[in-house]
Parts: sequence; structure tokens; C-alpha cells
Amino acid sequence: MPEIKTKQFSAASVAAINDPKLRRALDRVASGFEVARLERIEEVTPDVWEVWKQEARDIKVHTLDHLDYYLDLLYTNVTAAGGHLHFAKDADQANEIVAHIARTRNVKVATKSKSMVSEELALNPVLEAIGVEVWETDLGEYIIQLAEETPSHLVAPALHKSKEDVAELFAEKLGIPYDEDIDHMAATARMVLRDKFMEADLGISGANFVVAETGTLVIFTNEGNGRLCTSAPRIHIGITGMEKVIPSLQDMAVFIRLLPRSATGQRITSYLSMITGPRRSDDEDGPEEFHLVLVDNGRSRMLADPALREALYCIRCGACLNICPVYQRIGGHAYGWVYPGPIGAVVTPNLIGLKQASKLPQASSLCGACREVCPVKIDIPRMLLDLRKKTAESPDKSERSAPIIERILAKLYVRLMSSPRTLAMAVTCGRFLQKVERIVPFSPLTKDGKWIKMAPLPPLSRWTRSRDLPTLPKQTFHEVWKKELSRDDS
Amino acid sequence: MTTPESGEMLGVPKEDFLRSVREALGREDVPPAELYPRLTETQSELEDQAAQIRRRLEKNLPALLDKLAEMAALGGWNVYRASGVEEAIGYIDSVARDSEATNIVRSAQDVFDQIPVDAALANLGLKVTTVLRDDENSREALREEIRQSEIGITGADYAVAETGSLVILPRRGLSRLVSLVPPVHIALVRPEDILESLDDLFLLRRLEYHQRGGEMGSYLNFITGPSRTADIEMTIVEGVHGPKEVHMVILG
Repeated sequence: MPEIKTKQFSAASVAAINDPKLRRALDRVASGFEVARLERIEEVTPDVWEVWKQEARDIKVHTLDHLDYYLDLLYTNVTAAGGHLHFAKDADQANEIVAHIARTRNVKVATKSKSMVSEELALNPVLEAIGVEVWETDLGEYIIQLAEETPSHLVAPALHKSKEDVAELFAEKLGIPYDEDIDHMAATARMVLRDKFMEADLGISGANFVVAETGTLVIFTNEGNGRLCTSAPRIHIGITGMEKVIPSLQDMAVFIRLLPRSATGQRITSYLSMITGPRRSDDEDGPEEFHLVLVDNGRSRMLADPALREALYCIRCGACLNICPVYQRIGGHAYGWVYPGPIGAVVTPNLIGLKQASKLPQASSLCGACREVCPVKIDIPRMLLDLRKKTAESPDKSERSAPIIERILAKLYVRLMSSPRTLAMAVTCGRFLQKVERIVPFSPLTKDGKWIKMAPLPPLSRWTRSRDLPTLPKQTFHEVWKKELSRDDS
Repeated sequence: MTTPESGEMLGVPKEDFLRSVREALGREDVPPAELYPRLTETQSELEDQAAQIRRRLEKNLPALLDKLAEMAALGGWNVYRASGVEEAIGYIDSVARDSEATNIVRSAQDVFDQIPVDAALANLGLKVTTVLRDDENSREALREEIRQSEIGITGADYAVAETGSLVILPRRGLSRLVSLVPPVHIALVRPEDILESLDDLFLLRRLEYHQRGGEMGSYLNFITGPSRTADIEMTIVEGVHGPKEVHMVILG
């Protein structure tokens, strides 16, 4: 598994917010993908969009509820088409399967099209360790591979890099003159990778969907790299999570309508490849061997938890990232692991453990925008709340996210709010303190006498560092209510 | 770990993996209580639906041609509607001249019997190679030929009006590299190739899957517009790994 930096979430977020270059890059994404997505929905009409979303969700609900059945059916049909289906319980096992295939088939060069699951597994170092040259071929992935970084977005992995960054990187790593023309840089990647496609023994791809009815692997790409990776080398290995299976080929229609529109605002991607088994004897091209590796790697834990099962409906479009006010400010890397954004905040604690990622469920204002844009109607805020509840109440101290003082204050607050008498007493007390405080000229604590700007004690003062609290009013609502009632009576 | 080729399976044995999934679901080995409707359709039901599709397509053909042209253009194709063979060939000639091509590859498909492009292109002094394996032309030699070419010309198995997509299926004489590797791709679409929607396409494919006794063919590929990326600063660049320029010639 790749390095886990989820514990540094707060520090990484602060650093990200203070990075003006990253802010510019994130603004571009927000205005690019999201605007186009909205245009597409207007085009098909919001009513139709709603029908599609429900249909897609229904398919996912049904499939995940009967995942064992569909995995079995998938196995039958992948095998019938002359392919191999391998099941891996965790990252190590998945990597070992791919490494075994590479070793036994004497693979020297592998080309890869974009796969988030392979990022989750940290597959590349495993292959490199056995002497396989691995080439990422999606332009964004190629850039971050050269830069030795990780993706910062599900569909635009290198969005955090400016054209100047890429130009410098290409100059340094490829030994070519510095040239920040974007067309030229894309042409450079085409040229470098064209040879690799033809040289490669092994092509590795992810899968957006796998179809149980026919044993088919489905990938969406815009560059054409996915198609080259899966048709030029003599071996093709597809790797994906076990939740990606759908029952029928017919189900693809609705997902084709939803995925590109939600991801990039395209009606459809330039290429859509649906691959079933290796090349047949009459085919002009294609791999001699087809392998599909399905990984669990923590997914069965999510499946077993009714509150979190729907996270497995995710089709990785990235729409929730593009709309999220938190993601828009901190970008993908601050989340500290492979899957960023709102869906990442749900998935990551489940895949690497809540202990490591207890901060991520807090990274949301619960505004609900992610739920609204989700093409399979995943209720992300509800799951974040569920995870927060777990971090608050977990018997295992290491899974708790809040410091002890915050927990004590929260308990006191509950006590206070659940007893009208104590609350009334506290209000009276508070008002008295406020009066005393007002005698002090130019008090640093309040603003216009209406807002508490700086709470006096450390736990509270930390809270008011980024917020103002309203002061206690002269009369509470209850007091006004009582007074008015008695006036009516008289 | 390696067992004979056909049944080679690495990692967790299937039954163990499925058992762990069942445990997570908290139940025994039972099929879905209500079978998925699409998976219970019989071949004759699919045939009926396919017949309905065919009737609808025939009835709506003029509108579908317009729709395909509109959606293909939105998808990034240069769309040309040719009223006849000569117009189609004239257009292909002009694309070849504009791109200053010297080598052209084409697939071996029926549509080229109808539209004999070879002679016309040869008249322009261009080398046209048909990508079809035989004793003289190995897969590797043809692959190299494709790599050296500036234009690839293919027909279509289907064209989907809903998305403006060209759909190609594997067959002898049709390499996916012809539509992918050269910088220019020209696709020839006949009226009978046109489908209205994605639903039509998948239904027909499923019917064929049944008719061929569970053989799907190794791929089902969509092409919609040129190869493109927006991976650097969200700026769209066309022609990354695939063609920069794509033309759809619609006959009729």
C-alpha cells in the first residue's frame, strides 16, 4: 500500500490553503468540470437526469446486495471467453498476482493506463523491484510518475501542476529544452510513449465497470492510451475493486450516460473500450492473454457495514471533489492517501483504518453538495456523520479524533442543554460575567458588544480563533415568550 | 502456483473469496430472490426486441442521419454527408491532400467494395495498404505499416446517433490500430450502420452474444471524436495517443 499521510491532514491542509499556485489550479477545475457538468444536465433536462441517477443507483444496490452471485457469474463468463479471473484479498496478494504473471511470462516492459486501484495497491514499485519497466501512459499519470508524486484528483491526476512545472519536469527528466507550450508537451509524451506501447509485453489497465453477463471489462479514456495498452502488448491485466461488477451489458447504457457527464462534463469520452477475453484466432490484434484481478482490500468491511455499504456504489467520477468547498481549498494531496475529496473521506478510513484517518470525516462542512452531484445518489454527508460518531464514541481511544478537553466540553454542553434549569442558571451567570467584562474599556474580548471575538480560556480560545460567537442577549427567547404571554393574559 | 493454462488462477480460490463476500453480506449462498430481469431475457425475446428496433430505425432513418451528424459534430468529428460514392471519394481525396499524406492504411471491410477508395488514392500517388493478414503480411509487418501511415480509413459496425459514436467490433481485416495510431482517421458510415441509442446497441450485441453461443468477441469499441487530454492546466489538446483529426463520412 502507498505511504499513508492521513495523520498530517491538518498541517497539510494549512500548507495547501497557503499555496497560491494550488489555489489557481483548483479554481480551474471548479470552473471547468462543474460548469460543463451542469450544461450537460440542462441539455438532457434535470428530470431525465434524475431518472438516470435512480436507475444507476438501483443497479448498484441490487448488485452489491448480491455481490457473491455476480462475482460467480463474472468468473464463469471471463473464463468462458478464455480469460483468467483472479481474486485478491489484499494489496500484497494483488501485487503478487501481477508480479507472478510478469515473472512467469518474462515481461520486461509494461505500459499502464490510468487505474486508481493500482495506486491503492502501490503496484508500480513491486513490478520495478522484479525488473519490469513500468510506464504510465495517461498524460497526467505520466507527469506525476516523472515527478514521483501521487494523483491529486480522481480524473485529473496532475491538476496541481502548472504548465511551467511540467515544462521544467520534462526538461529535467527527458533532457529536452524547456518549452511550456502545452501542445508541444503533449506531443513529447506521445512520442516517448509511442515506442513504449509497441515495445511493451504487458498492458495494465483499471476497469470502470466489469459486466457479469458477458465477462467484459470496460474502460473510458480520452487520450487513446487505454486502448493502446490493452491491444498492443501480448498480455493484458485489468485490475479493479470487486465492487465494480454490474449484471448486464444492457446496464452499461445508463452508466455511459452518467459517468463522462459527471466526470468531465463530456457527453461521452473519446474512447470507450469494452474488452472480453484475449484476442481470438481471427482477430488482427489484441493480447494473447487476458487477466482480470479483483481486489477486496478492505471492501468487504464496507460491504458488511450497512451504514457504509453505499460507498461501494461509487463510480469514481470525481464530481463530489469538484463541488466540495473543502476539496476546492485544500486539493487532493492534503487528504493524505489515494482517494481524496468527500468520497475519499469516507472510503479511506474504511480501507486503511479509522485509527489512521480519524481526521478525514471532519473535513466537511456537511453542506450536502456532494450528495447532490453524485450520479449514483450516494449520501456522503450521512456517512461522514456516521464516521464522526464512530470517532467520537469508539471504545478504542486511538480511533477518536477529538482531544480529551473537547470531549469533556461536549459532555458538559449536553448536560447543560438537556436541563432547562441549569441552562437558565448558566445564562444568568454568563450575563453577569458579560456585564463585568463591559466595564473594562476597549475590551479585546468582544466586538461592538455583540460578538465574542476572543474567548478567554485555551480550549475556547482555539475555537474562536476562526469564528466569532454571539454574546448572550439581554433576554432569551423563553423570557420574551413568557413576558408576552403574561401581557396577553392581563 | 501455476496450473494448466485454461484454469490458471492465482490469489484466493474463488469459493473462499465468495464465502468472505457472503459473510460480509451476512447470508448464505442464495441467488437473488428476484432474478435480474435483463439476465432472464430469452433469445426469442431479444429477437423480438431487435425486430422492433430495426423497424423503428427504418422508419426514422432521415431523422437519425441528421441526429448522428449533429451529435458526431458535437463530439469532435468533422462530419461530411456524401450523397453518393463519388462525393465520398472526393472528400477522402481532399482530406488526404490537406494532410499531405503519403501512406494510408485501411481495414478490409465490405464498405470498401461499395466505395472503392484505393484506386482514387493511388491516382494521387499515395500508397494504400489493406490491413489483412496473409502469408506475406504478418501481424508485426502490418503493425509497422500502420505506424508509418498518416491516415487510417475504416468502416463502421455501428454508428450510434445518441452519442455521435462510431462502434467497431473485432473481425478479420479490422485492426483497432488503424483507427488509433495514424494521426488522421476517416470513418465511413452507411445508413444501415446507424442505431438510435446505446440501448439499441447493447440489445443487438446481447442478441448476437446469445446467437453465437456466448461469444462476445474480444472487444466492442467506441470512438467519439479525436484523442484528447486536458491534463495540463485543463487546456484541451487534441491528438495525444490517438488521432488529432477525425472525419466521419456519412453516406446518405
